[in-house]
Amino acid sequence: MRKNNLCADIGYMSINHVGENLCGDHVEVVETDENTTVIVLADGLGSGVKASILSTLTSKIISTMIAAGLKLEEAVETIAATLPVCKDRGVAYSTFTIIRITGNERAEIIQYDNPKSILLRNGENYELPVTVSEIGGKKIIRSEVALKENDLFIAMSDGVEHAGVGIKYNFGWKRDDIIDFMQTFYHIGFTAKTLTKILLDEVNRLYDGKPGDDATVCTVRIRSRVPVNLLFGPPSVREDGRKMMSLFFSKEGKHIVCGGTTSTIAADYLGKTLRPNLDFFDPEIPPTAEIEGVDLVTEGVITINRVLEYARNYLADNSSYEEWSSKKDGASRISRMLFEEATDINFFVGRAVNPAHQNPNLPINFNIKMTLVDELSKCLVKMGKKIKVSYF
Amino acid sequence: MKITICIGSSCHLKGSRQVVEGLQNLVAKHNLKDVVELEGTFCMGKCQTGVNVTVDGEFYSVTPDGVETFFETTVLPRIK
Repeated sequence: MRKNNLCADIGYMSINHVGENLCGDHVEVVETDENTTVIVLADGLGSGVKASILSTLTSKIISTMIAAGLKLEEAVETIAATLPVCKDRGVAYSTFTIIRITGNERAEIIQYDNPKSILLRNGENYELPVTVSEIGGKKIIRSEVALKENDLFIAMSDGVEHAGVGIKYNFGWKRDDIIDFMQTFYHIGFTAKTLTKILLDEVNRLYDGKPGDDATVCTVRIRSRVPVNLLFGPPSVREDGRKMMSLFFSKEGKHIVCGGTTSTIAADYLGKTLRPNLDFFDPEIPPTAEIEGVDLVTEGVITINRVLEYARNYLADNSSYEEWSSKKDGASRISRMLFEEATDINFFVGRAVNPAHQNPNLPINFNIKMTLVDELSKCLVKMGKKIKVSYF
Repeated sequence: MKITICIGSSCHLKGSRQVVEGLQNLVAKHNLKDVVELEGTFCMGKCQTGVNVTVDGEFYSVTPDGVETFFETTVLPRIK
């Protein structure tokens, strides 16, 4: 049983030290059970291969130990005791930030030498209460806080604070500057991934596009759960249509219907008229339609295929964001509903074979439809969504 | 007069956008916006012959290249 209706939207990204192919920072996210999520952001000393190995090692050890049920203290102790201190520089090889979210009610933040994580609450900076302890000769900072809806945590590696050293600022931009900058975007409702990209783009700009250090941002947005339901394709047995429709429309949350025949069945079931539009907002995506009682009606395979492309891009560098975040075509609208609004997505997939689509001259067929659903589900899981697929 | 154009997956791939835009332009050019109503529809079940278009319920198959001919030979005579 979930105790509240909150969930954590987690997004992270890195930019590499100029000229390096590997990032010396590493982020690891582990869901230990239904109730607990552990995020580790580790920053290996220096940059390149050595730093990358060290930060990967650190984040993997911590997350694996915690996932195996060991206490956070023990994991930190192990790491603090294991990480060697560099002979020349007198500092440990990898610094880290751990955020553990329990039951979507509490967050525990444990930090070793990374810039202090930021918490924005109601749009304002909220200074986390800290206790300092020494484990294995290393100064560990620890905070605990009860979560509230719309809390925004920002964890980062020092490459973020150092942005602009000697270029735009003398000593990099300060924590307060970062807070100021992120406050601007707090109320808009961007996803964690988008907020992360906004901050990193600014960091990259301050570095003049040539980062002097690896920079990593991980944002965690506490939000309420929002279910979205998507119907795609008519059922393989025609008689199952009403059953499929009644299950679909009884679900809480928004409803998206994809596919021509599918939307005809949905309109019949609801006793409403199906009204296709003729506006081509994107030349490649067929127009949407309207049915009273349905939040969005679109064409099927071509539209979903584009949504999948956007999903893959979102998980990579999110460079198509400007396209799908504002456009009015069916694919962009589905993308916004699935990537930004939804936390829980229920797919209702019909397995009927559309005879018209089996023409070898057309680039669409039954297999493609099933593959689309599989691939899109995988992408959405990677975005942190809870997915349920039912076949009819 | 009502012209309905299929915008389903199959017809879309065969160029229903060009057909829609072609008809919209021709209707505007001939000042027929008050006479001709353009409308979209999802699959008409005749995907093999797409792009499927109906004029007051009567079926026609129109290709993107043949929009102008279709308009001149089928639509205009029906109006006059």
